[in-house]
Amino acid sequence: MPVTFLIPMPLRVFSNGNSQIIVEGAPMILADALEALWKRCPHMRDRVVTEQAEIREHINVFVGKEDVRYTGGLQTPLPNSVEISIIPAISGG
Amino acid sequence: MGLVYRAHDDVLQRDVALKFLATTLGQPARQFLLREARAASSLSHPNVCTIHAVGEADGEFYIVMELIEGRSLSALIDSGGLAYETVMRYGAQIAGALTHAHGRSIVHRDLKSSNVIVTPEGLVKVLDFGLARRLAAAPDEKTLTMDTLESTVPTGGTLSYMSPEVLRGEPGDARSDLWALGVVLYEALVGQPPFHRGTTFEVSSAILHEQPSPLPTRIPPGLVAIIQRCLAKEPALRYQRASEVQAALEAIQSASAVATPPNDQRGSLTTVHRGIKHLQVRNGDVLLLVGTMKGLFLLRSSRQRARWDVAGPYFHGQAIYALAYDSREGRHRLWASTFSMLWGTFLRSSDDHGRTWTNPQEAPIRFPADSGATLKNIWQICPGRSEEPNVIYCGVEPAALYESRNDGETWSLVRGLFEHPHRPRWMPGMGGLALHTILLDPQNPKTMYVAIAAGGVYITEDGGSTWQPRNRGVRVVHLPEKYPEFGQCVHKIVMHPSRPERLFLQNHWGLYRSDNHGESWQDIAHGVPSDFGFAMVCHPHDADCVYILPIESDEFRCTPEGRLRVYRTRNAGVSWEALTRGLPQRGAYETVLRDAMTTDSLDPAGIYFGTRSGQLYGSTDEGKSWKEILNGLPPVVCLKSEVVGERRFTSAPRETRKTVPRRKSPVRGKSKIRRKR
Repeated sequence: MPVTFLIPMPLRVFSNGNSQIIVEGAPMILADALEALWKRCPHMRDRVVTEQAEIREHINVFVGKEDVRYTGGLQTPLPNSVEISIIPAISGG
Repeated sequence: MGLVYRAHDDVLQRDVALKFLATTLGQPARQFLLREARAASSLSHPNVCTIHAVGEADGEFYIVMELIEGRSLSALIDSGGLAYETVMRYGAQIAGALTHAHGRSIVHRDLKSSNVIVTPEGLVKVLDFGLARRLAAAPDEKTLTMDTLESTVPTGGTLSYMSPEVLRGEPGDARSDLWALGVVLYEALVGQPPFHRGTTFEVSSAILHEQPSPLPTRIPPGLVAIIQRCLAKEPALRYQRASEVQAALEAIQSASAVATPPNDQRGSLTTVHRGIKHLQVRNGDVLLLVGTMKGLFLLRSSRQRARWDVAGPYFHGQAIYALAYDSREGRHRLWASTFSMLWGTFLRSSDDHGRTWTNPQEAPIRFPADSGATLKNIWQICPGRSEEPNVIYCGVEPAALYESRNDGETWSLVRGLFEHPHRPRWMPGMGGLALHTILLDPQNPKTMYVAIAAGGVYITEDGGSTWQPRNRGVRVVHLPEKYPEFGQCVHKIVMHPSRPERLFLQNHWGLYRSDNHGESWQDIAHGVPSDFGFAMVCHPHDADCVYILPIESDEFRCTPEGRLRVYRTRNAGVSWEALTRGLPQRGAYETVLRDAMTTDSLDPAGIYFGTRSGQLYGSTDEGKSWKEILNGLPPVVCLKSEVVGERRFTSAPRETRKTVPRRKSPVRGKSKIRRKR
């Protein structure tokens, strides 16, 4: 079943302005879904994860309503037809 | 071509240019020239120098023409060439002049960069339509077909602009002018004509048979294609009309102002800053690049540096930790590192003074997987030596040096430094473990220095394979061993290119000079209110002159006593003087960061610095007096200056000492020196 990414405003420059990107291929875990997203929107990868393939410190990724930091990180399993939100943290100065 | 006078027309009350031509011409040639000049006088176009009158007086042939204040294009082109945007703009105007003239059956016949004048407003004027060369039309002068009325310079002169058909002795036509236009555009881009060779014979042979060397990859493909078509050996393969060249140049001009082509090698997406009034930059202008915690600001001024146009903020909300202006090979490329706490740090460049910036798909600088490290910030961007125009270095956090050999397209980690056995014992300073300074030895291409906070100064003398610490004599306060081999929290090192053996160092407590490539350091904190500080710059023309901005202490990182004072030494650190005129001396608790002070390359030199409170100060008299340029900026992180189209450090130092400066007697500063011991 498709996975829908909810794209935050600052990243929409890399998604032709789309607020949602649907990736096909029934990914089982978050890492697979993100790989599918990078294929659609290659510029997003290095803005969301580091070169060591870790989600950036001040970027939060939610599968449904759960922050993936508490559900297994990139190995978080994906239910059917789930929405994944990429949300910048409120930290900053 | 003869003598030119500035003259005054009493009747029409205007200044004019009065040109007398050579008087040794035969009668048929004189008649021919008169006829040509009369025809040319019918031209009226903003890009054509207007001919007011022609005639003969006392046997001398003269032309009265529009007086144009400006510089010839040949004078504007230095060995590195001009920015391609400038070349497009000038090229479209030259093509406009040709369009007008060709439409009236007038062919220029000797278009070249010295016949093109650019006014201070950037308006192009083409001179000498139809006047400079006698073609076969001059009936009794067939043997002079190739001559010009100017003295013939075998390779550097007019021959370089001749089309193959003219060289073969065929009558030139409008398409020969388009060939010459192609030569002018090529020359303007790279600094020399496409068929630049050693002898007349070689030039002629190259024009007839050889293809020009490829233009650098920084030139947009659209512009390359236009020039290639102008330089087709067969006239039938060139553009057939000047109006076509004009239209093509205008089309790529408007395209380059909006976006770079999608196949641009430096990133498939471009950041276009809309809603900003961008700078209009001309050669000779002074630029200030101001990196702040919340974006980049660009300032432009004339050489007087009295008023500044301000553009920005670019990358608003992002911190700009490093800036560079790369003018090698005629580039006008701005480099910036943008840091977002959210989205990471990216290296970007702009070739149009900020209108468009690369927005790379992948972070160009990234730690390899086996390092386990993650790029936190880019602290320094250092274009390589002029002999290696495609080399750039970056100093990053966590402390590492990156090198690009292809103009920033790809980067590699300098492993010799990253795998140095000292590395595990380097300690981060308050700003992080950063490699923040890179100095290239101008005399030895294998030698460079880096400064790491807190690791100290390291040198490589083999192009980066091996590195040695150079910290002997530099004291530390944060370790039990006060003079360790490494681990110093060095804040800045500077070097004047004319004295590469001598370095100055602003430490986290301590001010030092080395006269032996950093082998050993001596304390030069004589007469400064504190030997703590960050910023330090060399005077551009005086190797003994260094500027610093002392800070009270590491606990209270503000200017001592609330007085904003720049200190200057003019004797390599034997003594220091406070420069305060125009700077606030009460209640000014300011901080100036390590890269937030810079100089321009003019004489007298401009000195500039920005504070964490967002004030920008400048001095146009080398520090004697200061003026506020801007206030209300976000905290200033870094500052760079550039005189557009001029090379830095080309002038010899005003004074070069042969001996190491020594204090004759202990110098006691008037202020109490604050030191941590």
